[in-house]
Amino acid sequence: MNHKKFAAGTVALASGALFLTACGGGPSSSGGDFTDDKIVLAVLNDQSGIYKDLSGPNSVKAVEMAVADFKKKYGDDAVVDDIEIESADHQNEPDIANTKAQELYDRKGADVILDVPTSSAALAVANQAKTKKKLFIDIGAATTELTGAQCNKYTFHWAYDTYMLANGTGTSVTEGGAKNWELVYPDYEFGQDMTDQFSAAIEKAGGSVDGTIATPFPNDNFATFLTKAASGEPDVIGTMQAGGDLINVVKQYNEAGLRDRGIDLAVGLMFITDIHSLGVEQFAGTTFTDAWYWNMDEEARAWADRFTEETDTRPSFAHAANYSAALQYLEAVQAAGTDNADKVVDQLEGKKVDDVFLRNGEIRAEDHRVIHDAYLAKVKDADDVKEEWDYEEIVATIPAEEAFRPAEDSDCSM
Amino acid sequence: MTAPTTTTSVLPDASAKEVHAAITEGRGWTRWALLAVGLVAALALPWIVYPPIAMDIAAIALFAVALDILLGYTGLLSFGQAAFWGSSAYVTGLVAIHYGVPFPVAVLAGALFAMALAVPIGYLSVRRSGIYFAMVTLAFAQMLYFLANKWSDVTGGENGLQAVPKNFFGIELVETDAFYFYYAALPIILFGMWAAWRIVHSPFGRVLVAIRDNAPRARALGYDVERYKLIAFVLSAGLSGLGGGVFAISHGFVALGELHWTTSGEAVLITVLGGIGTLWGGIVGALVVVTMSDQLTSSGFDGIGIITGSVFIVVVLLFRRGIWGTGRHAWFRWRARRQ
Repeated sequence: MNHKKFAAGTVALASGALFLTACGGGPSSSGGDFTDDKIVLAVLNDQSGIYKDLSGPNSVKAVEMAVADFKKKYGDDAVVDDIEIESADHQNEPDIANTKAQELYDRKGADVILDVPTSSAALAVANQAKTKKKLFIDIGAATTELTGAQCNKYTFHWAYDTYMLANGTGTSVTEGGAKNWELVYPDYEFGQDMTDQFSAAIEKAGGSVDGTIATPFPNDNFATFLTKAASGEPDVIGTMQAGGDLINVVKQYNEAGLRDRGIDLAVGLMFITDIHSLGVEQFAGTTFTDAWYWNMDEEARAWADRFTEETDTRPSFAHAANYSAALQYLEAVQAAGTDNADKVVDQLEGKKVDDVFLRNGEIRAEDHRVIHDAYLAKVKDADDVKEEWDYEEIVATIPAEEAFRPAEDSDCSM
Repeated sequence: MTAPTTTTSVLPDASAKEVHAAITEGRGWTRWALLAVGLVAALALPWIVYPPIAMDIAAIALFAVALDILLGYTGLLSFGQAAFWGSSAYVTGLVAIHYGVPFPVAVLAGALFAMALAVPIGYLSVRRSGIYFAMVTLAFAQMLYFLANKWSDVTGGENGLQAVPKNFFGIELVETDAFYFYYAALPIILFGMWAAWRIVHSPFGRVLVAIRDNAPRARALGYDVERYKLIAFVLSAGLSGLGGGVFAISHGFVALGELHWTTSGEAVLITVLGGIGTLWGGIVGALVVVTMSDQLTSSGFDGIGIITGSVFIVVVLLFRRGIWGTGRHAWFRWRARRQ
């Protein structure tokens, strides 16, 4: 360490200064029930990349709606008047998510971080929540790890996960008569998980998986994989591709004319924004599991209309889930009378909730999985679409207890 | 450059002379002043920017400096430096998780692994130069990327290696507060910087520059060109590994992206932006790029890539010596005029 001899002076100087702030700095607790006398909700998600449309800036709008509804409901009785919303773009990079989460908790005084799509980013934020002892409610990520091996006291998983998607579609479609499956999946964590869970659900429902085909990720040309999958004349091909890859699979499935050969397509993970961007005719007839649909009933529709006034677009389930999570967090704060994370967690755990997004909802105490009714949806034919975004027909409702992984099957220990 | 050479210098001629000038002339007060300013800046950094970001800047600066040993001083454009940054990050993370050793030990283990890995990769790739060298290093790095992706029992695959502890002799402030962690980890970075500085300012470093400028002549003078390149490659890998290890510990996890070719690309971008063949350029480049992308993520502007891309294009087109290189060039000219 050659530097030391000429740096000794600077080091002494800096370390002196360092001790000065060490005494003055640090988070100041005002002694009241609320840190800084306010609540800060932070939305951390993809505001510029592939998930921008399905959550992105409009999730911030949804959270704003929740704050407005909370204030309207409690008025002067609200335990806290000052509710702020912060947001940051994690660009789907776990490194950025990790740093931003720290910054939101430490510097922006965030009491809770919401959304965080992309599993690796969500797991990184969950670890920050655990370290900082602040709440994290994930909505956008799919991994069951959040409520499995990597669960922790401060992390909740709100809307959906791979188990829900695979189990919903796999079970319902098999019970609907499609017994023989071929699964096509992108060869990484998410795809492998989904394939395992799909296979389990299909076999449990009395169907059989004749083949699983791994594809590179990301990938453009799925023709050979689809041909291979179709060669055994299965009843249905299940695809675990998502986003841009899914769009390619669906296009090439249509080009190969597989539907005309009586081979259906079931999709593992699909958002209404995917249907919107590719066009409903491409997806027509496809079956998938949805956590919520904006036009599924009057209550959802009324909320969706409010949302549309703010954003000029229809909400995805992630938007509704962000609203729901923010609202239920604020309700828990109201009940606890403080933003102290441990006390808010106590309020949330085991709570039964019904709101515009959560139907027959329960915030499970064992693993912090939030369970609620899920829906098996079918994409409408273009002729049946009555208005813009009117793309889905809800075929079946999967009751909350059956929709999600049972708590005893999770290897979560808090 | 009149004689045909097998090694293509990546630097414009003028700049190459300046590198030489910097090595031989930089013995005056300017060098010490620069080092002092740099050190004060390093110590002051977490007071100015958010400490985890400050740590990112320091780690990535070392990464860029390590790359500069190859790019600027040996004339080898490695496009697979993520292999060493990333594999060190994984090894550091795994050692920290499974053995619970203080983090500097884990980082050292990571860097040693990166050096060991660089021996076979370097042995096979330094025999090529120019675009072929870049492609071979890129291929090896991509191999590692897919290996880490597949071997998810160990690496966590796409989900990343989570919950890497910051063990530091039970000193809680360092283990939990990013501000103090910065000062605990900074010596590792400074050691890396010092090592890089020693390497390029040693007789060994001059041989590297000689090889860069004219490999056949260096060979004619009796230097084993391949061996020198290999040693430079391994040393650069070790320093990249130090940076990657600190980065992993600082973040508390390792993302698969650390091994991705975009990470290699970013290192090249940062080095070129700052100025190749200057060492300081890597530091300045890291400061600019990391701060800029951090500011942009909070700005609500959704075209981050457009901004960083435009800045890069402007720098490459208008200031080919990079930020530091341009500044230094101006300084040399000013001094030359005064004399």
